[in-house]
Amino acid sequence: MKRSWYAGPYALWMLLFTVFPLIFVCYYAFTTKAGDFTTANLTRIITYYPVLLDSLRLSVYCTLLCLLIGYPAAWFMAGREFSRNKSLAVLILLPMWMNFLLRTYAMMTLFENNGVLNTLFAAVGLPKQTMIGTEGAVLVGMVYNFLPFMILPIYTVLKKLDARVIEAAEDLGANPLRVMTRVVIPLSVPGIVSGVTMVFMPAVTTFAISRLMSSGTIYLMGDMIEEYFISMNNRNVGSAMSLVMMVLILISIGLLRKVDPEGQGGGLW
Amino acid sequence: MVQDTRLIEIKGISKSFGETKVLHSIDLYIRKCEFVTLLGPSGCGKTTLLRILGGFETPDEGELLFEGADLLSVPPYKRRINTVFQKYALFSHLNVFDNIAFGLNLKDPEALGVKTRRQMKEEVARRVQRMLKLVKMEGYEKRSIDQLSGGQQQRIAIARALVNEPEVLLLDEPLGALDLKLRKEMQLELKTMQQQLGITFIYVTHDQEEALTMSDTVVVMNGGRIQQIGEPKRIYDEPKNAFVADFIGESNLLDGVMREDFLVEMLGEEFECVDEGFAPNEPVDVVVRPEDVMIVGEDVGMLTGVVESVIFKGVHYEMMVNSGSMRWKVHSTSMQPVGSRVGMSIVPFNIHIMHKEG
Repeated sequence: MKRSWYAGPYALWMLLFTVFPLIFVCYYAFTTKAGDFTTANLTRIITYYPVLLDSLRLSVYCTLLCLLIGYPAAWFMAGREFSRNKSLAVLILLPMWMNFLLRTYAMMTLFENNGVLNTLFAAVGLPKQTMIGTEGAVLVGMVYNFLPFMILPIYTVLKKLDARVIEAAEDLGANPLRVMTRVVIPLSVPGIVSGVTMVFMPAVTTFAISRLMSSGTIYLMGDMIEEYFISMNNRNVGSAMSLVMMVLILISIGLLRKVDPEGQGGGLW
Repeated sequence: MVQDTRLIEIKGISKSFGETKVLHSIDLYIRKCEFVTLLGPSGCGKTTLLRILGGFETPDEGELLFEGADLLSVPPYKRRINTVFQKYALFSHLNVFDNIAFGLNLKDPEALGVKTRRQMKEEVARRVQRMLKLVKMEGYEKRSIDQLSGGQQQRIAIARALVNEPEVLLLDEPLGALDLKLRKEMQLELKTMQQQLGITFIYVTHDQEEALTMSDTVVVMNGGRIQQIGEPKRIYDEPKNAFVADFIGESNLLDGVMREDFLVEMLGEEFECVDEGFAPNEPVDVVVRPEDVMIVGEDVGMLTGVVESVIFKGVHYEMMVNSGSMRWKVHSTSMQPVGSRVGMSIVPFNIHIMHKEG
């Protein structure tokens, strides 16, 4: 038996769950309900451009916040103090072992008007804050869900960083800040690219998190697509939207690849 | 060349990693423009001592002075000391030019004797070019690091350190990864550079030949202690103990008893020697270098033995000669066939007597 035959089941799998769905998405996107060719589905998306902009804006914020929080976390995890003590890594990975909907529901109970945080505020005499239903709450929910995807690739790259290279920079006169900006960060670019990709892409198509954390007031592209498919039973416009999102994601990956052409950050894409 | 001023003084420095004590109260001074080699087997503490000088380890006890001032409180990036790391530790995200310019770019323009950023750029380029010329790597400015061979990376690592014009250059087994021929070339080049630039070199190696070739002073270390400090020739000719004798060059090591001044008994026979000042009947270690054992006629030798093996080593033959109670390693330019009986003779000057350790 040829070795390539072992790939058979995987090829079948991809055919069923990747290639066929893609063909269907393309087909529906360019047809009417009756099955005639049309571009109306695509032009209709233009009317939803505020939702698209919101999605892009929130996912950019989310990616930046994840990078800002995740990089130092990855740095500490990869450092000497934590290399033996895995508690930090476990604490960061622990939420990943649960379904993201469960995590989001847990977040809701924290931020609700009569939730855990407001009860705490009341206990120390602070006024009640409306948190749930705001854009901030959606962002917190997204960051909380996507943070591990930023930390892990950066951690992997930093962990492999040769301690001697850092010492060499110090030796040549770089103070701790310069060591960071001139050596550590440039050398961890592959991890950053990988992390940004892995956070930005799912963040753009976020759904459910936005609806739950905003009590249904904030709609993102993901929610919109879901609504067209499920509630409105209009898979043509839903498919057109999916297609646009896919193209946007492909463009952003293309741009990121320019920063890390060799795909050293795990080479996922 | 070597000046009399003490540039670095190491006083009673000790260091432990966990339970293991790797340095036992080291005392050493290093003079200006001296080429000092720390020589010893792996695990002897030589690299730890070097890393303390570079600022990458802190000793548990002891003092470290640089031109008379405390150095331990100075962080690595403020020390006028640069290091050539064992595996070079070049910056893979920078090209050759930017690797060498790394240290210069961190300096103020005034430190390079210029005022504006623009002048600084020109000055940096000029100095990097000078270094590339020194290490014979002109024309490689734009190359990326992973396009270079081991020997070329080595040269860039040296240039990257030297461009900062340090007072002291630390080298941690820098030639370990190179092939023999390249290593010999680089040994000579390093020595020439050191003399041209007038910089103090502190060189760590386990290769005794390298140490003897390049150094003004060799510091032999073992088990976290200094065994002997001296000029290469002195260390070779007059090893202080059995460890040094065995580690530096090849040797025949024997147990002996000092009968009286200038007379040592070994292998049940008495030999004349040139050492004195031992207690009567003191047990001693005796060292005879293989090249000092002369093959003579069977009837005129002080010892006789049978040739057990002969290996051609290029300039000389290495023979193992069994004298019954001892297998002698003998270096000679004339070959004796395996199985033949030969006589061996050693002149008193070449019998080195050492106190037993511990």
